Amino acid sequence: MNLPTNTFKIVLLLFSVLFIGSCSNDHTLGNLDATVFVRHKDADMPAYIRGNGTEKVFLITLHGGPGGAGLGFQGNAFDQIEDNYGVVYFDQRGSGMSQGSYSEDDVTIDLMAEDVLALVKVLKRVYGDDSRFFLLGYSWGGALGPATLLKDQDEFLGWINVDGSHSPKDLYFEYIRNFERVAATQIELGNSVRFWESVFDELDRVDRNRVTLDDFNTLNRLAFDAEEYLTDDGFIKKVENGGISVSDYNLLTFVWNLLKIQSILDDDFIGKLSFTEALSEITIPSLVLWGRYDMVVPEFYAQEAFENLGSVNKRMVIFEQSGHSPMFSESNQFAEEVLRFMDENK
Amino acid sequence: MRHKQLAILFYIFQFALFSQDQEKSKTQIQKTSLSENFWDRTEFKVGFVGTVFWSNGLSIGGEYLWKENEKTKIRRGKERTNTHQFLFNGNLGFVTNFSTKTDTGAYTNFGLTWRRTNKKGKQFSIEMNPLGYYRSFLPETYEVNGDSVDKVFLPGRGYYAPSLSVGIGRKRKGKVRSANYFNINYTMRTPYNAGALPTFSFQYGFRFNFKNKKR
Repeated sequence: MNLPTNTFKIVLLLFSVLFIGSCSNDHTLGNLDATVFVRHKDADMPAYIRGNGTEKVFLITLHGGPGGAGLGFQGNAFDQIEDNYGVVYFDQRGSGMSQGSYSEDDVTIDLMAEDVLALVKVLKRVYGDDSRFFLLGYSWGGALGPATLLKDQDEFLGWINVDGSHSPKDLYFEYIRNFERVAATQIELGNSVRFWESVFDELDRVDRNRVTLDDFNTLNRLAFDAEEYLTDDGFIKKVENGGISVSDYNLLTFVWNLLKIQSILDDDFIGKLSFTEALSEITIPSLVLWGRYDMVVPEFYAQEAFENLGSVNKRMVIFEQSGHSPMFSESNQFAEEVLRFMDENK
Repeated sequence: MRHKQLAILFYIFQFALFSQDQEKSKTQIQKTSLSENFWDRTEFKVGFVGTVFWSNGLSIGGEYLWKENEKTKIRRGKERTNTHQFLFNGNLGFVTNFSTKTDTGAYTNFGLTWRRTNKKGKQFSIEMNPLGYYRSFLPETYEVNGDSVDKVFLPGRGYYAPSLSVGIGRKRKGKVRSANYFNINYTMRTPYNAGALPTFSFQYGFRFNFKNKKR
């Protein structure tokens, strides 16, 4: 018995359309829109390459988390950057839509830094050896960035640290100090008093002398809550539209990856990892961008990063109406600073 | 406290025993004699598979009726007859995320389906596919080994992907398009990164019995 020819043809056509549609890439330098996977040490990691690559100058972004999403940067600020330069949004190992097959023991920040250098090699292969790169790390990416640069900073024209956590070792204790300071100020001003008083109650419950993962996560969550109150009280500008669009990531895969990679990495870096001392070895031009009311990686780290970076050419900008994500809250100024830095150092 | 718990358990258990006995006394099972012809017992299916937001694709497959019986029950004074079937089934599908092209793959799986059909043709089925394979297809991929960067031919990864589906449907007696179905599907992909990835999707489609055309 035969399947009717028309049905067979339709099914075959649909399969072909799906397959072709799922493989197309646009590497036109003036209007890049390509997804390229980097296969390195048993992982396949997507790099979403967008923007204007006519000068072959690319901004490689390192997302937060660990376990965040490369495309999470998208929005007004990065649209403006894309108008001028190529932007590479990268899903790190075990994050976003990355795939692979490896054991938990294989996942280290050292290996993830090698992944970023592997990405640079792939971009050079695709766009030519004359391609030039800037590296931008946000939040957790502020730890992965220095880890990468300390392996090989010659590949990069500049380093941009956006509210980056270069020293998760001390972050827990800085949370406590920062909460006490901000909560006291806000109570004095009469803003969201009940919430800020509850912050003191929470601080009484956590161990002030020893970092535990549970206590760290409690304060980390509280930091995000605090930023919402600071936004409601007008200290942080409301976040403009941006971030991941619903079709970019399979939500379940993204969340599963996020939880998995955090369960693997958190133990290794919370209360342990610090690049503060080593920052002096980073000598390429550097830009430190921070939100004044960042409760997640407090402003203290902006100053610490700026002072310790070994670069002669370095600059720090504090966004007065921002929390942890100035690229969304003060997007125009953010884009302006990044573009000025790239223009000056390309 | 312990005695109290045991007493509650015993109390529940007696109802279970009683209801089971009641069920037996009211249920009649009659085995259906099936046609020897392979095509009489075979249906094909084609349908949408995906999550709409993140992945969309097409699934085709076949089912072969292995066993069938009719179960007659008296419930609330009325006689109800349901057909229960066990079918071998196989599927082949392709899904993709057009937006970022990062969730494209083809799969095949094989297993057993249990399906209940009532007199009105409404169906409920559970499909277990312990034999499953998923092959992801990645867009342009480069492998980095030290300083060498090589473009990968047909990049992707293979995963063991058993699945479980629960679904409803409606039978169209004597028609070529013999039924429609809606399944919610759970598939596991392993090894995926450092673990096993759970995925969910739904399937909506039609089953065809081409033998019906000739009748």
